[in-house]
Amino acid sequence: MAGVYDFVPAIAALPFLAFLVSLFFGRYMPKRGAEAGVIATAGSLGLSTWTALTVAGFTGPATSYNANLYTWVQGVGDGALTLSLGVLVDPLAALMLLIVSLISFLVHVFSLGYMNDEGETGLPRYYAGLGLFTASMLAFVFSNNLLMAFMFFELVGLCSYLLIGFWFRDDGPPSAAKKAFLVTRFGDYFFLVGVVGVFATFGTGLFAPITDGGTVVAESFPQVAEHALGGEASVETFGLETGTWFTVLGLLVLGGVIGKSAQFPLHTWLPDAMEGPTPVSALIHAATMVAAGVYLVARMYGFYLLSPQALAVIALVGGFTALFAATMGVVKQELKQVLAYSTISQYGYMMLALGAGGYTAAVFHLTTHAVFKALLFLGAGSVIIAMHHEENMWTMGGLKDRMPVTYYTFLSGSLALAGIVPFAGFWSKDEVLFEALVHGLGTLETEASMVGTLLLVGYAMGLLAVFFTAFYTFRMVFLTFHGDARTDAARDATENRWNVTFPLAVLGIGAATVGFINMVPVAELTGAEIEFLHDWLAHGGIDATTTETYSELLHDVAGIEAAELGALGPGAVSLALALAGVGTAWTLYNVPDPVEQTDKLGGLKTLLVHNYYQDEYQVWLAQGVTVPLARAADRFDQGVVDGVVNGISSVSLFTGSRFRRIQSGLVTNYAALMTLSLVLLLIVFVLAGEVMG
Amino acid sequence: MAVVTEYYLLLSAAVFCIGLYGILTRESALLFLMSVELMLNAANINFVAFSFYWGNLTGQVFSLFTMALAAAEVAVGIGIILVLYRNFEGIDVTEAATMRW
Repeated sequence: MAGVYDFVPAIAALPFLAFLVSLFFGRYMPKRGAEAGVIATAGSLGLSTWTALTVAGFTGPATSYNANLYTWVQGVGDGALTLSLGVLVDPLAALMLLIVSLISFLVHVFSLGYMNDEGETGLPRYYAGLGLFTASMLAFVFSNNLLMAFMFFELVGLCSYLLIGFWFRDDGPPSAAKKAFLVTRFGDYFFLVGVVGVFATFGTGLFAPITDGGTVVAESFPQVAEHALGGEASVETFGLETGTWFTVLGLLVLGGVIGKSAQFPLHTWLPDAMEGPTPVSALIHAATMVAAGVYLVARMYGFYLLSPQALAVIALVGGFTALFAATMGVVKQELKQVLAYSTISQYGYMMLALGAGGYTAAVFHLTTHAVFKALLFLGAGSVIIAMHHEENMWTMGGLKDRMPVTYYTFLSGSLALAGIVPFAGFWSKDEVLFEALVHGLGTLETEASMVGTLLLVGYAMGLLAVFFTAFYTFRMVFLTFHGDARTDAARDATENRWNVTFPLAVLGIGAATVGFINMVPVAELTGAEIEFLHDWLAHGGIDATTTETYSELLHDVAGIEAAELGALGPGAVSLALALAGVGTAWTLYNVPDPVEQTDKLGGLKTLLVHNYYQDEYQVWLAQGVTVPLARAADRFDQGVVDGVVNGISSVSLFTGSRFRRIQSGLVTNYAALMTLSLVLLLIVFVLAGEVMG
Repeated sequence: MAVVTEYYLLLSAAVFCIGLYGILTRESALLFLMSVELMLNAANINFVAFSFYWGNLTGQVFSLFTMALAAAEVAVGIGIILVLYRNFEGIDVTEAATMRW
């Protein structure tokens, strides 16, 4: 019987089809290819919903699915690798499929208002890019092995390049597109080495074991790794200690994650990527490309749990990025720039949660963030349409009354981002910080106290970032929507049509309510069974990817313990900080005529406006170190390597031109030469014979 | 009473040297061919002499083969000489010296 799982590949195939249709027939369509994209993503959304319901057990017993569908390299002989494309659907993948297809669908609808109604040209190319982007991301989500994930990871990067550089005739977008591509490629390089390393070590890239009637037919690499650590299996570790080698592998793959999820120090591409069309920003930064990195860590979490060192690095990078990016967001003047830095910062929280063993918290924040960040970007897009593509917040003001739908939905997203109860962001961010705190405290007393310290450092930075997040979020809201209109464009702004307000409304309601799927503090207070996401991730047909397994591993292998601590206290602290941030923003910017308070920061402002000179130092790294190095290598190649080859050939040419003179064309000469040579040879033989004899 | 093998070898060496001298000094292609024949036959004498010395027929059989080969070589050689004559109006090998670098 054809179950829903047979249709899972179609979730990605539909947008791919839309890509082809938009590319080849888009110009003949009344909406220039948008129809194909909207219908395809609606289909994907339907299929994803069906899949999620099946995984949840609404259509029968709760199941999961993991199968290889197509083998494209068949290994022959011992130790040969077999490479396949396959589908893995477990609660995590089903949830992510739902999020990605929902956001893509809404972004496609929004594009009708942002691109079509604004009379943009080149739309078939735009919708083709959007379709391919969605298709690659969806395929990445249901990949069942690391190599397939890598392939679609790369495709996502390619599409981001195409879409960010959509307005290729301007100066900014092509260079931003190149930067995004190169910076993420730099991370992906490590990922590729990691993929090769995983295959070389374990001989498989499967995320979860494939079972057939209860018996395991193909083991997954996290499992093999676990057995190897327990001494039940042996793997090739290239001369390193098993645990150390796994940490190295984990950190190599993490390189790709840091690039794609825009974590420090590879975050510099993301703010520049704002040069792309706003719906693209919403898609890239809410649910797809940037989420891919975090999702990858969650996907192979069973492997990362084997290495507490790698976890600590993840947590530290995440916590640091959360704070670091939040401080930069405080001084930005452009709407989308603020959102860009908040994206970096929020993904830092997810990394912090993953590093701290808060798998559920990370997935939760991934979910809520996808909703409210897509909302904020689309809201920003709505404002940008009304402001005739002016993005500087200082030219806005007072849009509240003229754009009510945009304002209230944007406010909902902002409250969620700032982490104000009861909006989505509060619940998830609170849980992230809570997990970091309890695991940090718990591990501090064990042998792995170093890891515990790092987790607590990450927690402290994340907590501090809450204040900055709330502050810059509401600075943005007040500057954009409150006070008096500061320009004519802001005075004449009007609300947009349904294709803009409909996605905003859907996401606005989502941003207010998504958090209810996992209200841990409330559950603790009332004792009610409402931690739906916890239950969702804890069950599933594949034991190896459930949180039950993960919590065992976290305790047994990684040695990370949880301290006994109520969720209410830490929640109250982070809420108080968030409210303090909102209050500060309120006093400084919720006035009829706000002034640039950033000048009071003095030298710090210069530092923040220049993004801590991250771009400068990376450019210096490229021009000051890499270019001379490349030049030296070039000189070595041209001079020494080529020189030797050329020298040998010219010596042969020269000797050849001299030696050919003996070819006189006279038979007599040849005969004489032969005779003389023979005589010479005989003499040599005689002499040699005497010496030897 | 049989002749000592050394004499055969001396004879053979003498015939060979005469042939070699012919090749190195003459300019006519026909004399070339004849000199080559002399050298081949010097080798034949060696074959037969050693065959006789060791009481082994292999060398004699080889000399038969060499004679057949020499006949074939002469056929080819005469053919070349004919063409040489047609092209250069003579059979002087120093004239035909253009097939070189």
